[in-house]
Amino acid sequence: MQRAIRLVMTTAVVAWLLPSAVMAEEAYLNYKSYCMQCHGMHGKGDGVNVPAMNVRPRDHSDNKYMMTRTNTEIYKAIKFGGPAVNKSVKMPAWGDVFTEEELTQMVGHIRTLCCEKELIRGVNFK
Amino acid sequence: MKRVLFSILLAVAISPALVSAGEDGTEILNQRCAECHDLTGPAPQTIRDLWKRDAPDLFYAGNKFRREWLVSWLQKPERLRPAGVNYLRTINSTPKKHQDTKKDAKQFDVLWGAVLKPLRHDILTGAEAEVVADALMQLKANEEQVAGMMLDTSKTVTLEQGEVLIDKVYGCQSCHQIEPGFGGYTGPELYTAGSRLQPEFMLSYIKRPRNWDPKIWMPNGNVKPEDLQKIVNYLILLAKEDYHATSD
Repeated sequence: MQRAIRLVMTTAVVAWLLPSAVMAEEAYLNYKSYCMQCHGMHGKGDGVNVPAMNVRPRDHSDNKYMMTRTNTEIYKAIKFGGPAVNKSVKMPAWGDVFTEEELTQMVGHIRTLCCEKELIRGVNFK
Repeated sequence: MKRVLFSILLAVAISPALVSAGEDGTEILNQRCAECHDLTGPAPQTIRDLWKRDAPDLFYAGNKFRREWLVSWLQKPERLRPAGVNYLRTINSTPKKHQDTKKDAKQFDVLWGAVLKPLRHDILTGAEAEVVADALMQLKANEEQVAGMMLDTSKTVTLEQGEVLIDKVYGCQSCHQIEPGFGGYTGPELYTAGSRLQPEFMLSYIKRPRNWDPKIWMPNGNVKPEDLQKIVNYLILLAKEDYHATSD
């Protein structure tokens, strides 16, 4: 009986953890595939294309700057491109590449790059 | 001496077989190209499949390339994408603290484990290139994507105006080079695009890259129809420039 309960409990925990783990990997993979070419593989704004660019890509690990941006602004910048948030056209619009779900996940992923401490503290990024 | 004679005899005996195999372009494609190139489609549908691709998809080659470019390029293959088709082969994303610590230290990549090595393209003879180009022009997938496309040659631009479109208006230059060494690395070079690609393909691909390659890292630039025509006219004009002659 106890074994059965334990089995049910483990299944429940795994079932609860699994979707979130899968989603996290998707945002990570998306970042590594689409954003990496300019923002760099660790988000420091040092991607492979940077030497040729006249506007430097944003350093996503720059906590000071990123804390001045709201989640809505980051979402807009990804979906509609730089000009939507008064930034450079060098940031293209990714609305055709990412689904709505992927976009919100990407905002979350970028927050893990810049603001891990604040995430843990439970700061509201709006 | 005997061994040398034997190998010469062997070579003579084998060579007719090679020539006869080379007469059929499709056969060459299947034997020598299919290992890296996708000849049947569809394009990668997931990111994981995308990063496994090491060579451009050829299943729509007949709707993409100009035949004369294929013939000359196959005999003298040159790099088109400065960072490669799979740019993880070019960059080493191993964190610095793990690099070169020990001689036999495991080199790894954030996405796919072991660091990948750049590839080299096969070189074909003139006769082979002709038949292979013929075979490639028969591969006409995605016909519906180019069907409605027509280049409007009246929308001409000067080189300067085109450069403004590519650099300032749509930011293509972040990833694409408009002359050797001038532009980004993860996209194919643009200074040969006009001689390499069919105008209808360029129009269709720039309009919505996803229609050709669902997971490619080229975004949809939301290019206005008029600018689309101008950009393609510019690329054709740009391809007529001889960059090797004017290097300083």
